[in-house]
Amino acid sequence: MSIQELIMNLQRFWADQGCYLAQPYDLEVGAGTMTPDTFFRVLDKRPWKVAYVQPSRRPTDGRFGENPHRVQKHFQYQVIIKPSPASIQDIYLECLTSLGISLPDHDLRFDEDNWESPTIGAWGVGWQVLLDGLEITQFTYFQQAGGVDLFPVPVEITFGLERLEMFLEGKEDIYDLDWSKDVSYRDLRYAEEREFSAYNFDLADIKLLRKSFSMNIKEGQRLINRDLLLPAYDTCLKCSHLFNLLDSRGAISVTERVKMIAQIRLLVTQIAHKYVSREAST
Amino acid sequence: MKEFLLEINTEEMPASHIQTALEQLTQKIEDELRSSNIPLSSISTYGTCRRLVVVGGFEPGQEDRVENVTGPPKAVAFDVDGIPTAAALGFAKKHGIEVENLIVMRTERGEYAGARKIIKGKPTDDILSQLIPQAISSLSFPKMMRWGDNQLRFSRPIKNILCLFGGKPLGFSVGKVSSCDWTSGHKIFFPEKVRVKNFADYRKALAGLGVIVDPERRKRSICRQIKKKLSSLEANILPDNELLEKLTYDVEFPHVILGQFPNEYLKLPIEVLSTAMREGQNLFSVVKGKRQLPYFIGVADTPKDAKALIKEGNERVLRARLEDAKFFWEQDLKIKLSNRGRNLDRVVYQEKLGSYQDKTLRLKKIGAYLSGKLDAKLEKKHVVEAAEISKVDLLTEMVREFPSLQGRMGGLYAKEEGFPTSVWKAVYEHYQPTSMEDATPSSLSGAVLSIVDKLDSIVGALGVGVEVSGSKDPFGLRRSAQGICKIILEKKLDFSVHRLLDKTLKVYGEIFEESKAEIKKRCLDFFKGRLQYIYEYQGYRYDLIKAALAPGIDNIYHTSLRLKALDSLKERSQFEPLIHIAKRVNNILRDQPLYRVNSELLEEKQERELFTTFSIIMDNVQPMIARGEFAKAQRMVFRIKSSINSFFDHVLVMADDNRLRRNRLALLQAISKLLMQIADYSQIVVD
Repeated sequence: MSIQELIMNLQRFWADQGCYLAQPYDLEVGAGTMTPDTFFRVLDKRPWKVAYVQPSRRPTDGRFGENPHRVQKHFQYQVIIKPSPASIQDIYLECLTSLGISLPDHDLRFDEDNWESPTIGAWGVGWQVLLDGLEITQFTYFQQAGGVDLFPVPVEITFGLERLEMFLEGKEDIYDLDWSKDVSYRDLRYAEEREFSAYNFDLADIKLLRKSFSMNIKEGQRLINRDLLLPAYDTCLKCSHLFNLLDSRGAISVTERVKMIAQIRLLVTQIAHKYVSREAST
Repeated sequence: MKEFLLEINTEEMPASHIQTALEQLTQKIEDELRSSNIPLSSISTYGTCRRLVVVGGFEPGQEDRVENVTGPPKAVAFDVDGIPTAAALGFAKKHGIEVENLIVMRTERGEYAGARKIIKGKPTDDILSQLIPQAISSLSFPKMMRWGDNQLRFSRPIKNILCLFGGKPLGFSVGKVSSCDWTSGHKIFFPEKVRVKNFADYRKALAGLGVIVDPERRKRSICRQIKKKLSSLEANILPDNELLEKLTYDVEFPHVILGQFPNEYLKLPIEVLSTAMREGQNLFSVVKGKRQLPYFIGVADTPKDAKALIKEGNERVLRARLEDAKFFWEQDLKIKLSNRGRNLDRVVYQEKLGSYQDKTLRLKKIGAYLSGKLDAKLEKKHVVEAAEISKVDLLTEMVREFPSLQGRMGGLYAKEEGFPTSVWKAVYEHYQPTSMEDATPSSLSGAVLSIVDKLDSIVGALGVGVEVSGSKDPFGLRRSAQGICKIILEKKLDFSVHRLLDKTLKVYGEIFEESKAEIKKRCLDFFKGRLQYIYEYQGYRYDLIKAALAPGIDNIYHTSLRLKALDSLKERSQFEPLIHIAKRVNNILRDQPLYRVNSELLEEKQERELFTTFSIIMDNVQPMIARGEFAKAQRMVFRIKSSINSFFDHVLVMADDNRLRRNRLALLQAISKLLMQIADYSQIVVD
């Protein structure tokens, strides 16, 4: 099964569970959790079911294409269901089975792993799912986002597509994976990894990044004051990525790190609280 | 007795949550049944990460009780002929008693009409179906969550609750889950439901469905399988009780696998190998003696690994992790620790206390000071060198990947770079001890660096106003202070804590809002509290601890010697009179200003004698105290007993003559001061 077949299978499976299939968000994000289809929709009281592929960037994970399983951009398959169904673990097992994994031949474990992201004021309780020792999924009952207690409680299931595919193909090098019958992961991604590693670690213009960061923070606050919450949230995503780039350039000092995270969180929590009170009044 | 069986079936709970949940459940059930007067024969518990199981034997109901009810006074209830009046009839009717069953009861206030009522005991079923749901929903876990649209908070979502009493289901619900009489087997192999009648039936049914419900049996099975797998290699696993405990609960049906990894990774230190195996993959490292072999042991949750897919999968994942570790090891070694250290200014230590570079500078200064105060054999230079590189490993790839290797990794890199043993060992050991059970550093240089590192954290945190109270201790300051005390006591380190604190505060400079004296006092109080905790933990009597700590904790090692001296003498007969003397002297001296003894003014024979005895004792005792020979010093001061007793018998302390009175008080003050150098005897409780 190639990566694109894996994606199609997951799309089919989660659509059958009633999920709306979103398209990837068009900004750089560190994880599927950060896109508006998750961030905003978990805050309100309405039921929500969504699934999507989200390219996720983590500049410090870049290895110039030389590491067989670490990359600065990878693909997540993100599922959010609110409220979390009582049988969600069984549904998840069914999903793995539908991918052709014969569970009785393997060791599947839900290993304690509680997720948190101080930048967006979010945390949850759950597990990393290990399949014969390989982490294939992050499974989280979301408890808080943007500093707001979440109720009803959403469940978030995040598959690492490359990890899962390496398991399915039994390969040890990410670049040997098949994206389709004719196109390999190497064809698509190797040059990108090399170039972006050079950019992230050595060449990104620190001055420009810093300036963009502070301008986006200002812009975010201005937009919040005008109640334009979605555009304001976009500025937070931009800041988060700019922060990650500065971090991989090794340009963030002692006091700065704490300060910058706090600056983003301040915007995000304002947005979350405004969104919740707006939703409550409609 | 009837059998009680409860199984709370959940999604996977962390191992650490299971034990506390079972303890709380047992406690709540026992307490409630006791207060409801229901006898119970036993309560035992079992569990896996998906099941909390409680089994007990309880009486089927409360016993019937007889209760006396008092009615109107006899004179009102019966007329002169003993015929019940309207009042008696009304009383009987109200309580549902036949009027002829009324009796006369004698009370303190006279004779009354009354009746003996039999109160039927409640059936245990009724009590349990109230108690159990309440007990379940009030369990508390280290981290709690909600799920779906349940308001209930628990460790992980509850899937099902099985509850039987005397073989019959007890009806109740918790959140949205209603209790029932069935359970289900292993989630992958036997997810089907099975109805059970009692615990024996339950245990047997589950054993057939891929679940061993008794943790002890699972642990034994794991250990037996490991032994079998390793017998041909004549090897063992690197002992790791925490991991064994976790795996015992993580699996419902343990199957041990033995996997291999390529020899090329054996050049990595065993610390790195075992950490890479344990963290993320929960694997045991396989060793022969102290040497790592190219094998690992894993525990899978399955009856078998027929196609060896689990073994191969784990091998593949481990290879990738070891490849990373090898890369980190090689990369890290390319940059010398001293060069890498320049970037410590980028790592926050604590927002108000600056970076790790700031901390390093402080550690060097305080470390140099403390080594100067200790053993001459200890090379001050080595401690300073170790302090210089102690935090650099925070910048290495390896510690970024495996934070638990901090300290040890720095030590290993320093060893590779060729630093002297006392330097790399100091770095390696400077986070030890991490708990009361953990070993203290084996090297003196490590002991010094560990003390200095922890003290710097404590002074800094208390200095910026971090509060430690109850369950609140965000920086683990209690553990740090206990660690310092543990090192001092085990290594018998003899130095002034007051001066070390002065030095530390001086090195911090003018960064605190509060005065140094204020912060120092807070640190000393904090340490005193920790010492008290340690001594209580070691089983000493509370009043002896107070007496031993009262002279101050400037020399922490000496506090333990004082305490041992007190403890060794507590049964002796001379001990008690001394305590009485100390209490008496204290009472006389209360609220008196300080005076000085003038030997010219010693009029009476007994006071002259007392002064002479005191002076001799004083001269003898001083050097003993300085050497920490408190038991000997104590025996010496006991000799003051007869002179002081005859002093009290014949001399009036509160004489009318001011000069005489002050002189006598001064003599007692001198004696009291001497006693206080050993212990505050007045704190000791005598029966």
